[in-house]
Amino acid sequence: MNTPRRSLSRRLADALIERWVGRVYLEEFMGDLDEMYEDRLEQRGKFPAEAMYWIDAIHLIFGFSSTVSKQSHSMFIGNMVKIAWRSAARHKQFTVLNLLGLTLGIATCVAIGLYVYEETTYDNFHANGDRIYRINQSMIWGDWTEQFSGTGPGITEAIRTDVPDFEEVTRIYFVGEQLMRAPDNGEATHFNEVNLYAAEDNFFKVFTFPFIKGSPNTALKEPHTIVVTESTAKRYFGDADPIGKTIETKSATGVYTPYTVTGLLADVPSQSHLKFDMLYSLSSVGELKTSKDTWIWTIFGTYGLVREGTDITALTKKLQALPPKYASRTTQSIFNQTFEQFTKGKPWTLYLQPLNDIYLAKEPTFNRFGPQGNPKFVMIFGAIGVLVLLLSSINFMNLSTARSSNRAKEVGVRKVLGSAKTTLVRQFIIESMLFVGVSTVAALLLVQLSLNVFNTIAEKQLSLVAHLTNPYFFGTLIGFMLIVGLAAGSYPSLYLSAFKPVETLKGKLRAGFKGTGIRNGLVVFQFTVSIALIICTFFVQKQLAYTSTIDVGISKDHVLQIYNMHQLGKGVDVLKAKLQTNPALTVVAQSGFLPPNVWGGDRYRAEGPDQPVVDLHYMRCDENYLPLLQTKFIIGRNFDPTNAADKFNIIINEEAARILGYGSKETWGDETPLGKHVVQSFGPEEKLQIIGVVKNFNFNSVKQKIEPLLVMHTDNDKHWSYSAGFPSYLSMRINPGSVKSGDDLQDLINDVKSELAKVDPAIPFRYSFMDEEFDDTFHEERKMSVVLNLFTVLAIVIACLGLFGLAAFSADQRKKELGIRKLHGASTSHLVFLFSSEFTRLVGLSIILATPIAWLLTDYWLSNFAYRTPISALVFVVAGVVALSIAAFTVGFQSLSAANANPAEVLKNE
Amino acid sequence: MSRVIGELEELILLAVCILDGEAYGVSVKKEVERHTGRTILLGAIHITLYRLQDKGMLQSKLGGSSEKRGDRRKRLFRITKKGMEQLRTSQDVRQKMWDLIPQLSTGS
Repeated sequence: MNTPRRSLSRRLADALIERWVGRVYLEEFMGDLDEMYEDRLEQRGKFPAEAMYWIDAIHLIFGFSSTVSKQSHSMFIGNMVKIAWRSAARHKQFTVLNLLGLTLGIATCVAIGLYVYEETTYDNFHANGDRIYRINQSMIWGDWTEQFSGTGPGITEAIRTDVPDFEEVTRIYFVGEQLMRAPDNGEATHFNEVNLYAAEDNFFKVFTFPFIKGSPNTALKEPHTIVVTESTAKRYFGDADPIGKTIETKSATGVYTPYTVTGLLADVPSQSHLKFDMLYSLSSVGELKTSKDTWIWTIFGTYGLVREGTDITALTKKLQALPPKYASRTTQSIFNQTFEQFTKGKPWTLYLQPLNDIYLAKEPTFNRFGPQGNPKFVMIFGAIGVLVLLLSSINFMNLSTARSSNRAKEVGVRKVLGSAKTTLVRQFIIESMLFVGVSTVAALLLVQLSLNVFNTIAEKQLSLVAHLTNPYFFGTLIGFMLIVGLAAGSYPSLYLSAFKPVETLKGKLRAGFKGTGIRNGLVVFQFTVSIALIICTFFVQKQLAYTSTIDVGISKDHVLQIYNMHQLGKGVDVLKAKLQTNPALTVVAQSGFLPPNVWGGDRYRAEGPDQPVVDLHYMRCDENYLPLLQTKFIIGRNFDPTNAADKFNIIINEEAARILGYGSKETWGDETPLGKHVVQSFGPEEKLQIIGVVKNFNFNSVKQKIEPLLVMHTDNDKHWSYSAGFPSYLSMRINPGSVKSGDDLQDLINDVKSELAKVDPAIPFRYSFMDEEFDDTFHEERKMSVVLNLFTVLAIVIACLGLFGLAAFSADQRKKELGIRKLHGASTSHLVFLFSSEFTRLVGLSIILATPIAWLLTDYWLSNFAYRTPISALVFVVAGVVALSIAAFTVGFQSLSAANANPAEVLKNE
Repeated sequence: MSRVIGELEELILLAVCILDGEAYGVSVKKEVERHTGRTILLGAIHITLYRLQDKGMLQSKLGGSSEKRGDRRKRLFRITKKGMEQLRTSQDVRQKMWDLIPQLSTGS
């Protein structure tokens, strides 16, 4: 029988045992380890068995390593620990600096490690996860080279007819916010459900979401059936059994549609890119019957479960035949365009994205059905974690080598007494591992204590305790301790053990201050990183400050906006009229989008032969909204409520005028766009007349350039989005004169709330302020800036700890030199200068190195923004001065005490 | 006899006696764990076995392998006369001390 190959980690452990444990014991130990491994593999699974294998192996090595050679009997591990303890206790300052720096570094790394682990292990709970793929397509509503996670229902139909390689293909449909209630309760409590989608009946054949009650195979078969998660069921029914009960959705016109609960699910795990509270059957969606073959109703997520052993590359290739074959029918019937006209010759690509890649993928960046991770953020976090750990390891090495000169005599004596070089190396490595071990324990405590703060910053629910029982975590931690211990201990151990006993005992090394080059190099590295971080932090702050001062072209202050107005139906006019009588509100207006989130877009062209089809954003609003925003008209007029024809007229922005081919104010002369028609390049190709052109304003985040915009009237029913159940909002401009305090504002909000309740008490009241929404588009950046600040401070603290230690050491080394200088008449200030200049030079060098690095980094980051703050030299100067003064302060303390020392004290021993 | 052995040493000596010729690292570990209910690392067992051998209470030879062990031989331990004496002595010591405990009156 052929036994399976030993895993790499076991072979590694074996090699260590062979290296360190005496040959007499090898056979039986390895045999025992193997036997226990097999037992544990059967009882507890692979990972615990591997982890225990390592623990046992290390234990055996520690227990029996002394037998490797007969000469080293004097250096038992216990003895080494004792020596390590004595030398640590003798140099308390160094010990504390060392431990502090390492603890900070390891704590940062562990915290970030938890975060990165959490982010990179999404969606790994599905039984068939390795065979699940999301089907993405080209971004057909914009840049065709990007990926888009939304797909039309036609794709699934096409795959089912043409591609047998999928075991299952399933769709999930975006429903949008719904007002829901459970009528059986006899209560009128309505819930606004956001995480409600419709899923096809085979959804649970693809995904593994455990059922508490009900059958995964049949729960979503019938129309008007619904499955709910445990906490949602609790919300509606308390502890009663929800199966067979009814939940209703309320439409804008007040019609209720009932759904029968057929399944109770466990709550969706937090690490899932699909996050839902309820799913109703896709067969309940009426429109699907008539539009099941369409390719442009891109509101679905399509997921496929491929058969075992499918070649994904070949399958992806095969899929590319589908769009030309099937999508042409859609482009023809909706846009009156052939497939080629619609794609403008660009390839309509279908992509297969593995389930585990979805959450952290670079693209598509958009996920309708749950959270989407930010790979950049994970990368920045990870890089900073590694960097901080590196900095603190460097610190450790630096301080250890510096201290080594003090221990040179000890090494010399040991060598003279016959200690082998390997024994000495082992002594120092064990010392450094002890340090790392102590720091790791301290770091774990620190992480546990500060995890709440970290969670708030990173907006996560990380927990250290949950990992403490995980053998993986322990394995990583032990490996990590070994690696850091070895890395941090290797340099001092090799360096120290290479001392020549004669020289060290003669005292040459003390005077020589060897290894300065490497130490100084490490200091420069630390300060380069710190200064680069300081500069980056400055620029992030500067950019954030800058973006909040950009003139967005509309008056975004003092605008209160309330949500869910589409659920009010005709009641919205009643509410609007009522609010208009409130003296604290100057204008009240209805709109279908709210800046900075106007994401809707469609295809249009100017009337006339051979006009190109262009993508325009569109926004629906009434005649009050543009005045409320205080946009400026370049030419033409606003909607006129007395003019019935205005229902179908439109207003465009400058950018739209340009892209539609009308030119700009400077170029159009008498040929203004007013009175011209824009054709909707879809459906029956309705024409819309232009009555005004407004100055460009930012209707999306100021991260982006201003794009072309078409404004149509709320009542325009020639556009498909009319009565499609899209959200609509009421915005009101607050008269700043009548709202003087926070209390006034709260009163006003309460007034609005009670007015809404009078019209329809079922509608949940949600409001926001436009300026805050604009600020909120920089949420990610703000989060990043907080994190950067935190780590910059950490990096500086660690670098300073190192510098402080080095300065203290150097002061100790040079106190005789300084004493003699003083004796010959040098002044204290002169000595301080002399002493500090050495370190100032290092920091100066770091500034020179950090400047180009930081420049490149900020330039790269700022290139994400349409409006960017200039990279000014002042920031570099300020960062340099900050770094220099921090360094000077750190060194200054030491140099002062060195320069102030009484020369008689210092020199009396000679 | 004045020499004292530790609790783990005693437990392991007893386990070796129980296993009667089949005592090696893993089997001793299992035996002790079975009776005491606690978990003991393999290394601790080995260290103690060798210490007892150094003290002359155990003797060992290499022998018997199994497929699970990748055909590696085991070191089989046997108790020596001295080991047996030691076990007896420690039991006697305990028994004597037990006998000296004054009879506690129960029930009042």
